[in-house]
Amino acid sequence: MQPEDAGEPMDRALLIGVSDYRFTKRPHGVPGKLPAVEHNVPVLHEALVRAGVFADEEIVSLQSPDFAEAARELQRVAREARGLLLVYFAGHGAIPSGGDELYLQLRDAQVFAGEHTVFNGAVSFSDLMGTVLVTSRADRVVVVLDCCFAGNAARVWEHFEDKRRVVLLMSVQANHRIDAGDPGTPTPYTENLAELLGEEDGTTVSRLAARLRERMAEQKRRTLRNEPWEPQLRADAGADAVRLGKEGPQVPLLSPDGTGPSGTAPRPPRPPRRRLPAWTAALWRRPRALAAAWSRARRRRRHSRSGAGGGTRPSRRILFRLALPVLLALGMLGVGLYGPLGLAGGDDTHCDPPLELRVLTDPDMEEAFRTAADAYLTSDANTTDAGCRHTGITVHSAGSSDVVDALRRHTDDWKEPEGDEVNPQRDIGPQPDVWIPGSRAEVDRVLEEQDTDAVAELEPAESPLAYSPVVLAVPDHLAPEPLNEVTGRPLTTMIDALTVRAEDAAVRRPDPEFTDSGLLATVGLYGDASAVARGEAMVAQPGPPSPTAGDLLCALPDDDAVDDRTAALVPEFLLISGVDCEDITRAPRTALYPADVPGMDPVFVRVRWDDGDVDAVARDASVASFHDWLAGDGGREVFARFGFRDPGTREPLDEDQDVDAVKYAPSPLDESAGRNEMEQALSAYQAYGGPGRVLFLLDSSGSMAGVWQGPSGGPGLLRQTLGGLGADDEYGAWSVADTGDGPYETLLGFGRHAREDAERAVDERARVRDASADPHAALLAAFDEMEDRGDDGRPQLIVHLTDGRHGDRLSGGRLREVLDRAEASRVPVTVAVLGSGGCDEGRPDRRIADVSGGRCLDAGDDVGAALHDEIARIGTGDD
Amino acid sequence: MPRRLTALLALLLLAACTGGGDGTPDQADEERPGTIVVASGRDVTGSNGVRQRLIDAWNRAQQEAGSEYQARLVELPGSADEQRSQLLGALQSGSARYDVVNLDVTWVPEFAEAGLVRALPDDLVDADVIDPVAGTARWDGKVYAVPFNSDVGLLYYRIDLLRKAGVEKPYVPEGFTWEQLRGRIAALGKKLDAADYVNGWTTQLAPYEGRTVNAVEAFATAVPGLRLVDEDGRYTGDVEELRRGVKELTRRVDQAYISPSAGKQDETESTSEFAAGRTAFLRAWPSAYPTLYRVFGDRLGVASLPGRAVLGGQNLAVTTTSERARKATELIRFLTGRQSERCLLEAGFAATRASAFGRSARCPAEISATPAPSPTGEADEVPRGDDGRPGFPDEKLKEALERAVHRPRTPLYGAFTQTLITQLGPLVEGGSADDEELARRLDEALRRALPG
Repeated sequence: MQPEDAGEPMDRALLIGVSDYRFTKRPHGVPGKLPAVEHNVPVLHEALVRAGVFADEEIVSLQSPDFAEAARELQRVAREARGLLLVYFAGHGAIPSGGDELYLQLRDAQVFAGEHTVFNGAVSFSDLMGTVLVTSRADRVVVVLDCCFAGNAARVWEHFEDKRRVVLLMSVQANHRIDAGDPGTPTPYTENLAELLGEEDGTTVSRLAARLRERMAEQKRRTLRNEPWEPQLRADAGADAVRLGKEGPQVPLLSPDGTGPSGTAPRPPRPPRRRLPAWTAALWRRPRALAAAWSRARRRRRHSRSGAGGGTRPSRRILFRLALPVLLALGMLGVGLYGPLGLAGGDDTHCDPPLELRVLTDPDMEEAFRTAADAYLTSDANTTDAGCRHTGITVHSAGSSDVVDALRRHTDDWKEPEGDEVNPQRDIGPQPDVWIPGSRAEVDRVLEEQDTDAVAELEPAESPLAYSPVVLAVPDHLAPEPLNEVTGRPLTTMIDALTVRAEDAAVRRPDPEFTDSGLLATVGLYGDASAVARGEAMVAQPGPPSPTAGDLLCALPDDDAVDDRTAALVPEFLLISGVDCEDITRAPRTALYPADVPGMDPVFVRVRWDDGDVDAVARDASVASFHDWLAGDGGREVFARFGFRDPGTREPLDEDQDVDAVKYAPSPLDESAGRNEMEQALSAYQAYGGPGRVLFLLDSSGSMAGVWQGPSGGPGLLRQTLGGLGADDEYGAWSVADTGDGPYETLLGFGRHAREDAERAVDERARVRDASADPHAALLAAFDEMEDRGDDGRPQLIVHLTDGRHGDRLSGGRLREVLDRAEASRVPVTVAVLGSGGCDEGRPDRRIADVSGGRCLDAGDDVGAALHDEIARIGTGDD
Repeated sequence: MPRRLTALLALLLLAACTGGGDGTPDQADEERPGTIVVASGRDVTGSNGVRQRLIDAWNRAQQEAGSEYQARLVELPGSADEQRSQLLGALQSGSARYDVVNLDVTWVPEFAEAGLVRALPDDLVDADVIDPVAGTARWDGKVYAVPFNSDVGLLYYRIDLLRKAGVEKPYVPEGFTWEQLRGRIAALGKKLDAADYVNGWTTQLAPYEGRTVNAVEAFATAVPGLRLVDEDGRYTGDVEELRRGVKELTRRVDQAYISPSAGKQDETESTSEFAAGRTAFLRAWPSAYPTLYRVFGDRLGVASLPGRAVLGGQNLAVTTTSERARKATELIRFLTGRQSERCLLEAGFAATRASAFGRSARCPAEISATPAPSPTGEADEVPRGDDGRPGFPDEKLKEALERAVHRPRTPLYGAFTQTLITQLGPLVEGGSADDEELARRLDEALRRALPG
């Protein structure tokens, strides 16, 4: 593209106006003919010649061509152009469903609507861009679209890597239809465009676009949606250098002595603020030196920016071809100090908000994948030439079995939540575009049992992104000596050996329903013989298990005595990267590698939602780019830092990792977890101990009136948890208010219930009483009730939903009495305090929960979701 | 069914394109009555479901008028990041259908610029809407999202500690400055022993939006009129401005004054620390008041934040893809009208309209969230003004709103806040950093994040 090897530059224009359509009848025809468009091409042709932008012979005009002719001419003209290429289209524009593609309809256009609408006789804007970019050696391409939905081309343009060469002028903003106007004159946009070309000298594209916008506003033009009609521009840095008017006096802001604009050219709207340093003179003569100069500039980015370059004034012709690289260089120098991403950040850079990817992962891996996503966001892979981000990413996590369940059976509710009870949008989080479970087996668990009418489709990648074995982390002083039992033995054998070494040794595991590391550990605990009771006895602990492996490692040091004698089943990477828990020191631990515990092998899964294909092309590209980055060097660097292993070789990714800390030798037995093993372990875990028993105490005192209504009010929360209880679970609900007949009133008798019946009872009977509550008496009665039902080993729970305002009803001796009873009864009490601060240390509800082995949940915990998890752990329900 | 809907929509869109007629809207613009889906984050403010009750009230009115429209509230997660992610992802891809979305004020430019929400009639934001709050509604000169409820940073303090340390009334006078605040903390340190008092103040500096809010408050205090971005949302700051801002933030997080845990605290944790009596001052939103009042009663003081406070809150917008945009706009008009704002105020939100404060008509009983006074002695002990709103006098709240500053308004706000959070890490986590170097790096990073 240098002048010396390009020969005489040839500018070319292709003007297409389709006024006459062959098919105008329903159901497949276009809406009608467009007499106004017939005037567009001649008027614009004349204006371009008059303004000196193109010579007459440089323009090809096509009136109402069919698809084949238009495509042929487009290729030819694109091929011939060397300098400036202009492609203009006026006619019907159509979009599939308000989305990211725009079809320009030619004379033979037809539309076949259906599940995937087919546009015959129309060229998609992507194809037009593709053709131009692939075929043409033009320095600069200007595309002008005057049709309905023209603005929808902007998003397509955004996703072309090479879009820097293309300036895009669109008659109207995205998703708007426009009226063609009087049949006797050109369409309003083209008429204004032609007039401005005739009037304005030296019009740069951005100036032209601004004037078009002003004009349309002055004329009070409206779109068919009755909103202001606003022509659009998309251009990368340097658009000001493309002129569509008569010869402009100078390149904006550049003059041989570097002193700024000379001549009488209108000032560009936002002149670059920085001057050229001396060495840019070379760029005037050798644009191809740009790349080399760029890398030099990167090396020297701290260099002084003072000084100004010399150089000769370019002719107009050269200006067309050089202005872009020169301005690019200007932008680069201007922001070169700020690193590579600022490369083309000229003053006209415009970044569209990036496409948002919703990424869902396992709770134990959330931090690693969030760190990876943050690194990706600012990486070159996610940065356009103009320094914009292609994609934004939000990583979140949710309980693993809830996610599997939602993907199997509740995708419809996830897409369109109908009621308050089942709402995965609220309880799990955003509908994922990407799901990264802790184990490939989770994907198979979904696929095997997904509803046939599911509205989300999973596409797992072939190989996992990383690997981390689940280890038995034993306090150093309890590690086997010599270290000959580190690998190759079943988990239960290792635990038996541990208890032989220290009788009071204990083992803990994170919640198998919440994180995959807990479930994988459970596979080993139960072993081939499915010895569930034996396995559970090995990890028995007071209170509920920690939700995640990270939480477990943080919880152990709460009690030094526990920390010193307790081994933890956790993924190895957490021992290497460490967990962030408030400056607590933990007993140093040695990792043992059980042979029958599968490791974590996070796999990247694309999730496609029905109707979620409005921006399918762009979204797929974003997903693919993120996947490739994660699977490539970028991801490896982060995974290495977090202590993961190579998913193929199982060697540590971090080559500098201390070998002493990692004594693991891969065993042929630790294949990635099988779907059946995990499914069986989870079912056995959930069934262990049999159906659950839950007693709900719903504070119904006067002060609850402020936290009663809506899905986050007391009764709303109670209703939402009922899905966690199945037909075999026994439960009841009391309304706690001292109305004179005792401390409570039964809302729902203790026993088995159909969910609908239970919901109805809560709806009909729960109401705020004009009375205070006596939580002391009610809790004591609740312990009586649970004890009366016998200690048959079934999981039990008392749930107290309250606003935490107990006054002196739960203080002093009364509180002491409840605390003693809670400790003795072995029934955990989970308190959901509606209002923040209710679970602060020392508060009565917190103390009762702690001493009983239950949980205290307040506004800081997302009470609804946390309570749901609590009930799901006890009950056998489906939700 | 949804697929068929999409195809139908495509046909409708095609059917009237560039008709060549007289420019009047055609039949495709006629709405079919049905459900208007309103998406909003889970309400964790303890407002007793006032949003749901406002929607119920609208639905009742529709029913009485014989209309076939009904609105349905779909709750999103409580986490703002997850709300934004779902709303953006779903509206861009079509994976879920919403007609009305409740946007944090900082997201409005992004959703407007991306064409995900529609321009609305200007008169939805009239002169009654408090000035800085009204500023959150517009982008590119048009109203895109109507203020629903507002929010502003406040200073909470312990009257008893200040009194004990010999500070004279008013403990926090008008025009209280950060320098005076540091003076008070120094006095407390000298006069009180460790049993009474541990740390000066605390706030939200964990790596999330709270850190951005606190940084912007420091920056806006140090550099009056600071904007950081132009009207298109492109970065216009410079190293010098940032240096002054960073310096102010450094003074605020000086270990002599701030709790060492602040760098890891969010709203809940910082409020808990203050409630546990470990600090004398707290920066927090108005929603912390009821909790703190229950702990401290008359020992609790509240004032405007010294320097500048950041504006929070949420605005309602109609999605571009809504097939019921006309009626959805009508719903927004109701939800953000005078009566609704009054109800929101009484439920504990900061109202967006001046008329809601003071002596305007009370929220009607069928919507009101205010519990009836209870004769049981267990009555809500939080003081309520004449207006029924739990908390301190309205005038203070209104004044704070009127003086509040915006966070930078840019379509690339996600990149802005992520950059600020990351770059300020060494300062707020480590407690010290080279201000000059940090400002330079922050400037570099913001330039990259918001090219222009």
